[in-house]
Amino acid sequence: MDIEKYIVDIKAKFPEIKNTKVVNTKRLMIYISKTSLLKVAEYIFKDLGYRYIIVTAMDSKEGFEIIYHFSDDSSGWIINLNVLLPRDEPEIESLTPVVYGVEWIEREIMDLLGIKFLNHPKPERFLFSEDWPEGEFPLRRDYKEEKNNG
Amino acid sequence: MGFKEKCFKKSLWVFHLSAGSCNNCDIEILDCLTPRYDIERFGMKLVGSVRHADVLLVTGIVTRKTFPRVKEVYDQAPKPVVVIAIGTCPCTGGIFKDSYNFAGPLDKVIPVDAYIPGCPPKPEAMLAGIMKLLNKK
Amino acid sequence: MGKRTIVPLGPYHPLLEEPEFFKLYCDGEIVKEMVWETGYNHRGIEKICQSKTFEQVFYVVERICGICSTSHPFAYANAVESIPGVKIPLRAKYIRSILGELERIHSHLLWVGLAGHFLGYNTVFMWAWKYREPVLDMFEIITGNRNSYAMFTIGGVRRDVSPEQATQLLNVLENVKIKTDLLVGAVMDDPVLHSRLKGVGILTAEDIHDFGAVGPTARASGVDIDIRRDDPYAAYDLVDWKVITAQGGDVFAKAEVRLLEMYESIKIIKQCLEALKETEAGDIKAKVKDIPAGIGIGRAEAPRGEVFHFVKSDGGNSPVRHKIRAPSFTCIPTFRRSCVGGTISDAAIATAAVDPCYCCTERMAQVYDYTTGKKIMSAAELIKLSQDSMKKLKAKLKV
Repeated sequence: MDIEKYIVDIKAKFPEIKNTKVVNTKRLMIYISKTSLLKVAEYIFKDLGYRYIIVTAMDSKEGFEIIYHFSDDSSGWIINLNVLLPRDEPEIESLTPVVYGVEWIEREIMDLLGIKFLNHPKPERFLFSEDWPEGEFPLRRDYKEEKNNG
Repeated sequence: MGFKEKCFKKSLWVFHLSAGSCNNCDIEILDCLTPRYDIERFGMKLVGSVRHADVLLVTGIVTRKTFPRVKEVYDQAPKPVVVIAIGTCPCTGGIFKDSYNFAGPLDKVIPVDAYIPGCPPKPEAMLAGIMKLLNKK
Repeated sequence: MGKRTIVPLGPYHPLLEEPEFFKLYCDGEIVKEMVWETGYNHRGIEKICQSKTFEQVFYVVERICGICSTSHPFAYANAVESIPGVKIPLRAKYIRSILGELERIHSHLLWVGLAGHFLGYNTVFMWAWKYREPVLDMFEIITGNRNSYAMFTIGGVRRDVSPEQATQLLNVLENVKIKTDLLVGAVMDDPVLHSRLKGVGILTAEDIHDFGAVGPTARASGVDIDIRRDDPYAAYDLVDWKVITAQGGDVFAKAEVRLLEMYESIKIIKQCLEALKETEAGDIKAKVKDIPAGIGIGRAEAPRGEVFHFVKSDGGNSPVRHKIRAPSFTCIPTFRRSCVGGTISDAAIATAAVDPCYCCTERMAQVYDYTTGKKIMSAAELIKLSQDSMKKLKAKLKV
């Protein structure tokens, strides 16, 4: 895949893209704001037909970082959409209307990091038992382990 | 001859329960059924319901979600029942003991008669452990 | 968190009665809805990795799933090594590939056995698992353990393969090939299996795309994807092999893909063993000082499909974030399409066809009445239904 051309094309199509960065080999990071997510993801998933892999979410220094991974199997490139959410407002639109398969991973992220996915079809607890306390998110930086260790 | 020995004179029916395992131990337990180890020649067989079980084999760390289920299954087993913890996970939690979802080890939930550590224990180790326990009786 | 945690209550063993993980709601014979519940197996692995050194993480990830014990370390190695851009020695590449393919063989044999059991072919179960044993023996000879091999390390592998072990492995492979011929013959030419499995649990290419399904599940629907070819790693671009696909997307196609893949695996291992002779014995690990700050994304083609690992380092000794996705995480949701609309007696085999790695998923389905919500069948009964259905079919076909 001609990555330079790809970057030029996608930036032209979506001028609101903040930044792009090639990471190691065959991995492209595209930084976008949360409002552009559905549009850009729809282009990548539906128009370009890339395969949905998974969504990674983490509690980074700058805030909650969510990365949506898509695979272009014809070239082996992984295109990653990177969205940063402010720590005091960890909310974003659910991607389920575009990529049906993200339903489960969004629920998992809700459990582990407490990020809210708006308009999610089934925003229920995914991993934890009924007695898991509300408001405890193990993958957050401020999570205190001693509290919940059985 | 004690009550337990009387009951275990005949063939043993084994029920396998996973309390949150990676499947390694579970596959090795299943392996015991297959031609190379063939526990059926000892009269042991795996049963589908705990209500028929003489022996309860438990694998996996006990997670918060399986904690009540393990207790429930144990209560349903007709007594006397022998409980064996297979693998390092139910014995001590192994590498998962610091996990936020670790609610074990197994002897925190139900009484355990034998511990067979290993990750996973080989089928020979499991058979040896079971035999040792039964001969002890 | 993620996968490594999800489910499996017990192995994929049909006799395992476990708390529901999937509930099938039925109206009469037809499955109307599938609801899944998980978390029984959630062990918090992603969090545990954050408190281990990069090297120690190998031993944690190989316990994500006992069956895919090579694939997770493989993908993790690919991820971590990409951060500093390590070039591993050629010999290590071949050894890694040998392990990966041996795992594929043992995993597919395991699946064939279990599928056989679900259909009431207990002989197939016993045979397939018996033929698996020599493969596990080879693992023990090469790595020291039948499962959980502890072979991967940053920069290469931990143990070398000696010429004697290579010869033993070749002999085992010859035998496996003969037994695979037997199994292929038993499955592909059996008219009863054709009748029972064709048209069952169909997934279209569109279904595959919607869920991001991978591996034999995708390839059986004609979707030509395989990480070993699409994003090559280790020695896969140095040897000659082909990706197996099938059309139809039904259970039969999935069985076909897995059986034929075993031949390709044998082919790959033979070429790797030959190539080992040209490399320097003992040169199995590159020196790697530190993992600098950065991110690495690594993938591997496990027997069930693409395993994906994302690792973020801040220059310290441990990953600050390690995201793990096992293939079954995207394959299992496809049950909604393959089971719903079908009959209950097909549900067991349709779910088995995806080869859900229960460490990556959960197991047994329970059947509920759609209108009353009352439970009508347990997992064991569901399997029995499948086996009975086979008996009836055989009687009908007078076989």
